Amino acid sequence: MNTKVTINRLATGVPGLDEVLGGGLPEFSFNLIAGPPGCGKTTLAHQMMFALATPERPALFFTVLGEPPLKMLRYQQQFDFFDDNAINHSVRYINLASDTLAGDLDEVLRRIVAEVEAYSPALVFVDSFRSVVLASQTQDNPNNNLPQFVQQLGMLMTTWQATTFLIGEYFSETDTNPIFTVADGLIWLRQSVQRNSMVRKMEIMKMRGQPTLPGLHTFRIATSGIKVFAPAPLNQVEAPLTFPIQRLKMGVPRLDEMLGGGLPRGYSLLVAGPSGSGKSILAATFLAEGARNGETGVIAVFEQRPNHSQNATLAGLIQSGQVGLVDSRAPDLSIDEIVQLLLSEITRLSATRVVIDSLSGFELALAPTFREDFRESLSRMVTALTSAGVSVLMTSELEDRYTDLRFSPYGTAFLTDAIIVQRYIEVESRLLRIMAVVKVRASAHSDELRLYQIDDDGLQVGEMLPDREGLLGGRPTQQRKVTFEG
Amino acid sequence: MSALNEESRQIIAALAQRVGPNADSARIAQVIVSFLQAMEAALTPIIGPQGVAALYRRSLQLCASRHPRVAHISDRVQASLDLNALDSQLATESEADALYFGEVMLTTFHDLLASLIGLSLTSRLLHDVWKPYLSDTSAQENSP
Repeated sequence: MNTKVTINRLATGVPGLDEVLGGGLPEFSFNLIAGPPGCGKTTLAHQMMFALATPERPALFFTVLGEPPLKMLRYQQQFDFFDDNAINHSVRYINLASDTLAGDLDEVLRRIVAEVEAYSPALVFVDSFRSVVLASQTQDNPNNNLPQFVQQLGMLMTTWQATTFLIGEYFSETDTNPIFTVADGLIWLRQSVQRNSMVRKMEIMKMRGQPTLPGLHTFRIATSGIKVFAPAPLNQVEAPLTFPIQRLKMGVPRLDEMLGGGLPRGYSLLVAGPSGSGKSILAATFLAEGARNGETGVIAVFEQRPNHSQNATLAGLIQSGQVGLVDSRAPDLSIDEIVQLLLSEITRLSATRVVIDSLSGFELALAPTFREDFRESLSRMVTALTSAGVSVLMTSELEDRYTDLRFSPYGTAFLTDAIIVQRYIEVESRLLRIMAVVKVRASAHSDELRLYQIDDDGLQVGEMLPDREGLLGGRPTQQRKVTFEG
Repeated sequence: MSALNEESRQIIAALAQRVGPNADSARIAQVIVSFLQAMEAALTPIIGPQGVAALYRRSLQLCASRHPRVAHISDRVQASLDLNALDSQLATESEADALYFGEVMLTTFHDLLASLIGLSLTSRLLHDVWKPYLSDTSAQENSP
């Protein structure tokens, strides 16, 4: 029989936080929520409090010298999670301002312990703990021993089976603060400001006894409260490619032929081409073909005026619910937020086909702070989507450079399983379009450069131009007949 | 006073109920002060003594500016946050003025708090202050 203690993990009620914490909040842990002013510490505490408190095991919220409680009640009740009916039942506010002002830490501790003994709370919050610290420092009282106070508080709260949160403003994590040592958990909230954009980020710097998700995780504060965007869980074992490869029809029969019979299921496809080359039309056709076969799809549009750039087919599919639209015009998006939006639409519709139109718009939609890592972000998104089992078509605006053959401005071509490139060429005073399949991983495909045109029925792939050469240079020339002498 | 909201009506009813018929000024003063003490007791643990004191002073000031009839009472006790001072002052007023002051002071305090933390939370925090003196208990259960 296993007699080791089992640490219960509490569901925090904050979307995404349990995942970031590595499975929830360890019961009876002693935690610090830290960060600069305005980063959401008190809100995070309240959201967890209202989610976890019950009349039998209430929450005690000690207000110290931080935010005046009257104002805290005023602002916190703007959030949906704030429940008036819980106050004085499952949630109790206790003001310790006068005890703290006196600067006697022993008295503060005594008050906290007395209330804890009276109500036997499951949760204890002290806001702001920083002010307890400062009040003790202004006193010349040698008995005020902060490390000892923190150590005792931690010990007492755990013994009374209370999960505790100290909330405080700390600007530097390198502070040699005793509570960093005593605390079981350190939740650090930050605000990253770059130009006119602000992104909220959360880091679990420490959480004893469980594997947290490392790094900075973006979150938003809305009227529903805090929402953390945890990175999408990746399937450790990706389903092996099954043979024969199942293929999706693109809706353009001759393009399917060029791809070797269609796009292998679960592949990511990059369609790169200059402005007006028909990338979005091909993407819409891809979704329409899916709908024709009873598949559902999701399209993420990152254009300035999504409603205007939609073609009629796509609008119809969205209207009928066969295609879900992810059209987040929220400012300062993070990759995890977009992935989460996409995945929830994919799950809702059991979608098999996903379109990102376009990567260029997607890059602009990201907060500036994430643009430096765009390649990495993109890689994570593609991995998250393909590991969810969907096939992804991404469009990429490509400036026509006739001197070299490039597929995307981000050096991201290696990320995708398949690539279609589109080009303009000049022939006899006309601007014609050509298209080629550059890559289809683990599959034979055509190497032809084919003319195509766009009409009311979409993309029509035509013939090659065997008598021309230098197509990729944009100004093909009539091929010279080579004659061998002799 | 302007149109009374439901809570003000209840507060005034509770005050009248507790004062009872034919009460003299001293009795009225005592009831008003005990209501204020009960409000103080309900709020101090949550918003602290400084928070309650600030609400009390602001309520006195609002009463003085909005209700000239009892402005002199507010003015005289404003200097002191001591409820004993209010008690003594009210005992010297006419019964009608003392009762009128009680009505406007208690409802002003309530409305001030409600303007800061919302009506439903205010009602929840101060519920027990009026509850024992309301004969019609169903009227209070109208909060969702």
